Amino acid sequence: MKTRYIRYALLTVSLGLVTYLALGFGVQSFEAFCPFGGMESLWGLFRAGEFSCALGPLNLSMLIAVLLLALLAKKSFCGWACPIGFLGELCGHAGGVVNKQKLRPGERLDTTLRMLRYVVLVVALVFTYKAGELILRGYDPFYLIFSGIGHGTAGVFSYATMAILVIGAFAVPMFFCRYLCPLGAVLDPFSRLGVVKIYRDESKCTNCASCQTACPHDIPVHSLARVRRRDCTNCLECVDACPEEGVLSIRAGL
Amino acid sequence: MKIPKYFVPLIVLIALVGGYFLRTAFTQPTTNVVVGSGEGMTLDCIVDGVKCKGTAEFFTSLYKDKPGIKRIETFASDHRVVFTFDPELITPMRIRNIMEAQIPLEDGTTVQAFKCVSME
Repeated sequence: MKTRYIRYALLTVSLGLVTYLALGFGVQSFEAFCPFGGMESLWGLFRAGEFSCALGPLNLSMLIAVLLLALLAKKSFCGWACPIGFLGELCGHAGGVVNKQKLRPGERLDTTLRMLRYVVLVVALVFTYKAGELILRGYDPFYLIFSGIGHGTAGVFSYATMAILVIGAFAVPMFFCRYLCPLGAVLDPFSRLGVVKIYRDESKCTNCASCQTACPHDIPVHSLARVRRRDCTNCLECVDACPEEGVLSIRAGL
Repeated sequence: MKIPKYFVPLIVLIALVGGYFLRTAFTQPTTNVVVGSGEGMTLDCIVDGVKCKGTAEFFTSLYKDKPGIKRIETFASDHRVVFTFDPELITPMRIRNIMEAQIPLEDGTTVQAFKCVSME
């Protein structure tokens, strides 16, 4: 069975759970499950022993879980549980159906744009720490989508942000995750150290590049002995796409 | 060491479930207003409308100068409020009435900002 079916099943459960909470059926807020909220709450906890805004202990415990997970299996959270990544991936597939020639920025531009998520991370943390409120939530797709551009958003600016993110998601694969996700920036150094990763048997590989085509993050798996790239989510799309038996496998190793 | 493909979803699930249960280790309030001193009875409420630090601070301001209230802790992510109060000076029903009271707006209209969903 294709791994994608299992992955999409897990992602659907995650998306369903967040939607269920966002519709007000649970006691907890849907925001309580966001690991990045744990990052945003650190200063408030350190300074006053209180959580900022709508954040709570679950944000912090989810952050710890996701960081440990990244050390063990890279950005598996992003590929297997994040509802925003899932929506981005679905938009990317839909965009690929309409426009077969997906927009793929050149390597240099792509590398430069990927640095934007560090800028987003710094801006988000500085503003949140200074104000004690999630004042950038009006530009956060997770909050905008599941709150229905609700309480605490920034009116026309929030709509403009959503429009840019939706157009971007259809045009460039994994647009938000690639260039703007601050949680991705937090996970990057942990993901580099991730123990469980994809290995390639160079003697069997035909360099057909099916793996790179299948990879949501455009990682050139066919040119690597092992995938240490920080963006790898261990989604296993490359393993499923490889036409040769046993070339790509998932292994534990440093 | 080669590992089966299904190891990845398995550890993702374990991490997320573990993260969920780990939350009890970090319980801290969003706002913690201490009015008086000493022990008292506690009232644990789920309040619709307590959803961020701003609404939590506004919520606690409703009880400013109300006799019998000793401490109010709000947990915005759970929409939860824990009161410590003196039962000889204020009753749980009075506490509920205060939070559910109509609040006058600048344009002369009123609005109910909070609704008590449960009390224990």
